[in-house]
Amino acid sequence: MTGTREPQQDGSIQAMLRDSGLESASELRSSLEELRALVPERAPAPRADLAALLAAGSAAAADGSAADRFAAAGTAALASVPAAPDSAESLPAGVTSLAERRGSKRRLAIVGGAVVGAMTLGTGAVAASSEDFRDSVSHSVGIIFQPSGGTAGSAPQPARPSPSDVPAPAPSNAAGAVAPPVVDAPEAPGSTAVPVTPVAPATPPAVGRGGVLPSPPHRPVVPGTPALPGAGEDHDLPAVPALPGVLPTLPVQP
Amino acid sequence: MAEQLSDDELSAALAGEPSGFSAVYTVISPAVLGYFRARGVEDAEALTQDVFVDILPKLAKVTGGHSGLRTFIFSVAHARLVDHRRRAERTPYLAEYDPRDDTRYAPSAEDELLGSLGGIADSLARLNEEQREVLVLRIVADLSIDQVAGIMDKSPGAIKQLQRRGLSALRELVTEKDHAAS
Repeated sequence: MTGTREPQQDGSIQAMLRDSGLESASELRSSLEELRALVPERAPAPRADLAALLAAGSAAAADGSAADRFAAAGTAALASVPAAPDSAESLPAGVTSLAERRGSKRRLAIVGGAVVGAMTLGTGAVAASSEDFRDSVSHSVGIIFQPSGGTAGSAPQPARPSPSDVPAPAPSNAAGAVAPPVVDAPEAPGSTAVPVTPVAPATPPAVGRGGVLPSPPHRPVVPGTPALPGAGEDHDLPAVPALPGVLPTLPVQP
Repeated sequence: MAEQLSDDELSAALAGEPSGFSAVYTVISPAVLGYFRARGVEDAEALTQDVFVDILPKLAKVTGGHSGLRTFIFSVAHARLVDHRRRAERTPYLAEYDPRDDTRYAPSAEDELLGSLGGIADSLARLNEEQREVLVLRIVADLSIDQVAGIMDKSPGAIKQLQRRGLSALRELVTEKDHAAS
């Protein structure tokens, strides 16, 4: 057997090597023969299903499907398969049907949904029908939203006038040049005593202004006017007549 | 006599007679088994039997005589091998740790896996996938260039090229190994 095989193998391997121009490579040829030797002498013993196919070849091929053959061989197994779904209902010896439990779960969900829906409808009806309820709701809503709106409106008011007031009281003091350092001194370098001591007369208004920062909008206007009479209280009389002196001259003469 | 399928056996197989089936199995299954072994499949016998369970009911459709039958069987085997490789890539290899199986101290995991195949499998494993397939189909399955071209879905010229390159690469590997051994 091997005697008849060898020449044919050698021939094909030889032909391959010749095709590729490698016929002189003897070690390659021995490797290829080694590779060829992987083919066993005998066919492996067929498995059960293959053996059945080999033995019953004609019937299976004549029918055109081997599946029928296998189905006939495994009738017991096949018979049990269709029986399984039917026996599921008769099975519950210690087993409860899952389908039933799934149904009860769904029923629970439906009931829960219905209860929640009914409660929502009832609440809505009460709200629509009773005046008190609507009032209390609108009141509470108003309470919730009002304070935040009030604080927001009042806060910007003192914040805006305060910077505009700073220059206003400055001229009201005796020296306009002294006032700006006074404003800066108490706030940033308040701890440093250097600017505080020379401006000692000016400090009272500065402190007063700092403490009344929230309410300065009206203050600057008020001290601005009294500052003029306060500073020259003795000159009030000459100051006032000065104005009428000017006024009469202009309107009276024409 | 197991070498060649007689015309009577062939026609019997194509007609679906059991004698023809067993003749086909006896004659061709060794080559299929050798093909799977050469490609390093772990359970080559099971895959071979899968192939025959697959093809035997379909033999009635085969045309082309002896070479047509052989081409058909090996194209199924080739497809099976490709499927097997893909599945093996997806399935992780799980094993308990055993120090005796620790291959980190072995010269090569390929030797361990393909140890029974001898040196040629080691050399083959270093070729590129297509070159390896061409060489194994040509030598182990004993198919012609045209048949291999049909199975691998390539032109005969491409198969020739692959064969030439595969053979020269294999030759280099073989001579290199010989030098290393001596």
